[in-house]
Amino acid sequence: MADKKKDTATKKASKKDATPKATLPPSGFRVAVREILRSKSALTALIIIILILLLTFGGSLFLNRAQITEMNIVDAYYGWGQGGHLLGTDDGGRDILKLLIMGGRNSIMIGISVTVITEIVGLVVGLVSGYYGGVVDAIIMRIVDFIQILPQMPIIIVLTTVIPNYNAVTLVFLIAMFGWTPTARYYRSFILSQRDRDYVLASKTSGSSNFQIMFREVLPNITSMIIIDVVLTIAGNIGIETSLSFLGYGLPTTTPSLGTLIGFANDPVNVINRPWLWLPATILLLVISLSINYVGRALQRAGDARQREN
Amino acid sequence: MAKEIIQIKDLKVYYPIRSGFWNRITDYVRAVDGVNFSINEGETYGLIGESGSGKSTTGKAIVGVEKVTGGQIMYKGLDVTKASNRKKLDYNKDVQMIFQDSMSSLNPRKRIEDIIAEPIRNFENLTTDQERDRVQDLLDIVGMPSDAIYKYPHEFSGGQRQRIGVARAVATNPKLIVADEPTSALDLSVQAQVLNFMKHIQQQYNIAYLFISHDLGVVKHMSENLAIMHRGRLVELGSREEIYKHPIHIYTKRLLSAIPQVDVEHREEHKKHREQVEKEFEENQGKWYDKDGRVYPLQQVAPKHWVALPEDMAQEAELEEREEKESD
Ligand SMILES: Nc1ncnc2c1ncn2[C@@H]1O[C@H](COP(=O)(O)OP(=O)(O)O)[C@@H](O)[C@H]1O
Ligand SMILES: [Mg+2]
Repeated sequence: MADKKKDTATKKASKKDATPKATLPPSGFRVAVREILRSKSALTALIIIILILLLTFGGSLFLNRAQITEMNIVDAYYGWGQGGHLLGTDDGGRDILKLLIMGGRNSIMIGISVTVITEIVGLVVGLVSGYYGGVVDAIIMRIVDFIQILPQMPIIIVLTTVIPNYNAVTLVFLIAMFGWTPTARYYRSFILSQRDRDYVLASKTSGSSNFQIMFREVLPNITSMIIIDVVLTIAGNIGIETSLSFLGYGLPTTTPSLGTLIGFANDPVNVINRPWLWLPATILLLVISLSINYVGRALQRAGDARQREN
Repeated sequence: MAKEIIQIKDLKVYYPIRSGFWNRITDYVRAVDGVNFSINEGETYGLIGESGSGKSTTGKAIVGVEKVTGGQIMYKGLDVTKASNRKKLDYNKDVQMIFQDSMSSLNPRKRIEDIIAEPIRNFENLTTDQERDRVQDLLDIVGMPSDAIYKYPHEFSGGQRQRIGVARAVATNPKLIVADEPTSALDLSVQAQVLNFMKHIQQQYNIAYLFISHDLGVVKHMSENLAIMHRGRLVELGSREEIYKHPIHIYTKRLLSAIPQVDVEHREEHKKHREQVEKEFEENQGKWYDKDGRVYPLQQVAPKHWVALPEDMAQEAELEEREEKESD
């Protein structure tokens, strides 16, 4: 009875708008957008992120790396706004603003590259581990445990000194080598909560292979978790690159990055007398991290709401 | 005599219980512990028991999505507990399942078209147009409007979703469908509707159902043969006549007394009867279950009637039943 009523109701509704329209259950992406638009702080953060991306990536298009890293001792240590350098110059007479733009782009690129690798590896490993469970899961998780207890920073530092031809790409791989483990663990937990749902069993009885079930059936159900993790991991990875460069084990000094700029603060004289060297980069890093985190948290709230609905 | 389509022989499904520092297996949950029965072509076979008695596990083992610990499931002469045999037979083309929770059994991120077409794509070679026609036909059979194919599961009511589940299950013209409490999550009125569609489809395509339920009332008008399950074992098995008219095991009697009665006049009597059965069930555990609380092996007490009893009681029961029938 109740069903019939609903039936006629839907018929009436579909008559009104003749084109059949399907509404996807609020997808990860749409919930994310809605949640960000609803929260003022998240929206502000998103706008800031977009501005920073425009500034660094757009600005870098007009810059030439060889030119801005060129030594010009005559112009060394200009202060704020001196000699036409808005943020002054460093010991080699290089313009800090230009270094900041290109360095910001490099740091963000490295953060994104590391994230792409760790997300893909972590997602596949987490999927396989959580979906198959049992022995496969036990073995994979012990490997993950092992990698996680290794002291990440010292090992990366040692490797940076022994690897010949050390550059941005090698740095990305070094960071990614450790970065996939928490991601794998994170996705595994969501897969575990999905794999006993009846739709997985129904797919099995429908003759789909495990591979198809993992990637075609289960994966779309955790998209919002993926969005959240990608956003938060990018912020974390920018941080790792920056701290390595700050310690002098990150990118070579010929490649500008936020870390190398902040690294000027290693010298006490610079800290006190030449704040233009390190302060802008520090602020930029802080703003990027905070903004990304604000957006990430908003997404997380949206994700939690979805979890509750399920 | 109808032809048997599937035989379940001494089926066992144990789940390990892990504990202690080394997380070693210390014991097992005997979810299904030595179950035997056969289903005939085109019949509805009822599998009844309270929640936790191992019905779903039995059903999942039969469709091949649960790893079995022991025993055999014979289909077309092959033991389909082995994945290789299932593959050889395209087993799931013939044996499908309808799930209890219609929400969780439909992938929320897929359109109805893709959900129903999934088994067709995997088991049959159809062109896109043929496939769409087939999906439309199936929706038609379960009384769903044709624009449903563009929609997602959350846009439907529970009864409608369950009908979509039925449509998916019959998509490949199966011979046997395991229906795991297909209506227990639905309103009474909607229940009847879904059951009617299921019956209708059965008659049209000669499908056998293993109809799982916790309610003897629901299956009364559905199934020719029944098995009553408790603690992973069968306590009573037989034709509908035998089970409803001459129940022997106290657990069966208890399930029967739990069927809600509409009869207002005899309400008091029913209540008394129910309490009496409950009391006997509580007090006579030792009589109906062995010293470990395990269900006894089945003994035949009539041509179409088996009951789990110790041997001496079985002969008694057989005599009693014969007398009872003579007096009928
Ligand atoms: N994956 C599992 N792991 C451990 N125990 C399980 C699992 N699935 C079911 N069980 C246990 O097996 C028993 C039977 O469960 P089930 O077949 O779902 O019963 P029913 O469908 O009759 O309610 C229950 O005691 C349940 O707790
Ligand atoms: Mg169940």
